[in-house]
Amino acid sequence: MSISVVSYGVYLPFLRLRREEYVNALGSCSADIKEKTVMDVDEDTMTMAVEAARKAVAGLDLERVGVLTLASTSYPYQEKVMAGTIVEALGLRKNILTGHHGSSTLAGTEAFLSAAGLLVGSGEKYALVIVSDAPVAGASAEMEHSFGAAACAFVLAADEQGLELEGFYSCVTESLGLRFRPAGEKEVRDIGVRTYSNQAYNETVGAAVKGLLNKLGQKPAGYRHVILHQNDVRTTVALAKKLGFGDEQIQEGLVYGQVGDTGACSSLLGLCRVLEKTVPGDKILVGSYGAGGASQALSFKLNCRLPGRSESFQVLLEDKKYISYTHYLKLKRSI
Amino acid sequence: MGAHISIPMYQRAVPQRYRLVGQRCLKCGKVNFPPKAVCKYCNAGFEFEEVTLSGRGTVYSYTIIAGGGAPPEFAEQAHCQGSYPVVVVELEEGPRVIAQLVDPPPAGITIGMPVRAVFRKIYEEEGVIRYGFKFRPA
Ligand SMILES: [Zn+2]
Repeated sequence: MSISVVSYGVYLPFLRLRREEYVNALGSCSADIKEKTVMDVDEDTMTMAVEAARKAVAGLDLERVGVLTLASTSYPYQEKVMAGTIVEALGLRKNILTGHHGSSTLAGTEAFLSAAGLLVGSGEKYALVIVSDAPVAGASAEMEHSFGAAACAFVLAADEQGLELEGFYSCVTESLGLRFRPAGEKEVRDIGVRTYSNQAYNETVGAAVKGLLNKLGQKPAGYRHVILHQNDVRTTVALAKKLGFGDEQIQEGLVYGQVGDTGACSSLLGLCRVLEKTVPGDKILVGSYGAGGASQALSFKLNCRLPGRSESFQVLLEDKKYISYTHYLKLKRSI
Repeated sequence: MGAHISIPMYQRAVPQRYRLVGQRCLKCGKVNFPPKAVCKYCNAGFEFEEVTLSGRGTVYSYTIIAGGGAPPEFAEQAHCQGSYPVVVVELEEGPRVIAQLVDPPPAGITIGMPVRAVFRKIYEEEGVIRYGFKFRPA
């Protein structure tokens, strides 16, 4: 049985915070972003999830959606079946298999792969995967400067033409002190040693990507695009180059500079962006990452064009309103 | 809008609040939203078929709620935004509904302006998030 993405949707909040706002307010910005997305006071990861999912399922026979998986590090409730909100908001059928993924930024590809597995196991036709994230750190934490917000959703189909999942490979290892949140706390922490966190990222993501290439008998040159998890662009680009990919394969999937660190969305949001620049026959490699730590590498091949979108990724990037750092702090409930 | 709505009462209206489920009168064909026991248009029809509205419509009228005038459940929103617009939208299926407008255009709201429904937090009370629809310029 083959599993393919047959449609997708992206949601970016309307509000943006420019890098200069940090520089003006705090004297510096630790993130190499141009700007980042910010949720409004009446948005959370579920409202973003619904908006992205509505775009993904437009025109789809909802009665045939038998699997729903969600991913976020920042659900609005720590305990509650989040899928219930989605089922009602979209009008999905109630006999639906669900999976809720969280606890690290690996959740996005975890939800994707678990949906693929549930589809195969259940014999259902369609699965909906929704990844929606808005990581949170304290206003005094350097990590916070990069934290953005976004959602993306994918409809997976069994035995249908589209963006076919060709294979995947995982690397899981114990790594301590990197982007963690003790039980009951709202804000993520990190011991803040850049060389140490970069090393963990490079080793984990590198092992997953190399493992995938070996498993499939592929070389980096066989891919049109590579998209690795982005919690800072320099590290991502350096790793992709070290793995043998060139600038033209790396650049299209870099979304960090305009949306920030979108946590579990990161690499899958990059996938949505490159899909607009992909033609049948192209291969795409996606490498996710979650601190603590693990990476999942996914290989895709586009077999036929996906349905046209009402708005391009570029249009979403340009549909925005800039806010001040003070307004941002109000939205974060810091003042 | 300032009246307290109990959780069970809110729960009953979830399909209409989350995805605009209305009802088409089998007698006169008009769409009732929110759903009614007897059709508000012909005052006779009491049998309906369920219809999910598109969420597309136009601004019929609007007002701006000043920060100080916000009911208590919207106090946090008023704190962040100062004031916020509330619109009466004429949906393309006919019904008129009242809701907030998000991301208003910098040039101001105009009567007849096309809008579409979006899924947002309406307010939070007792730790329970009340989701529902607002409108956004289309
Ligand atoms: Zn009637």
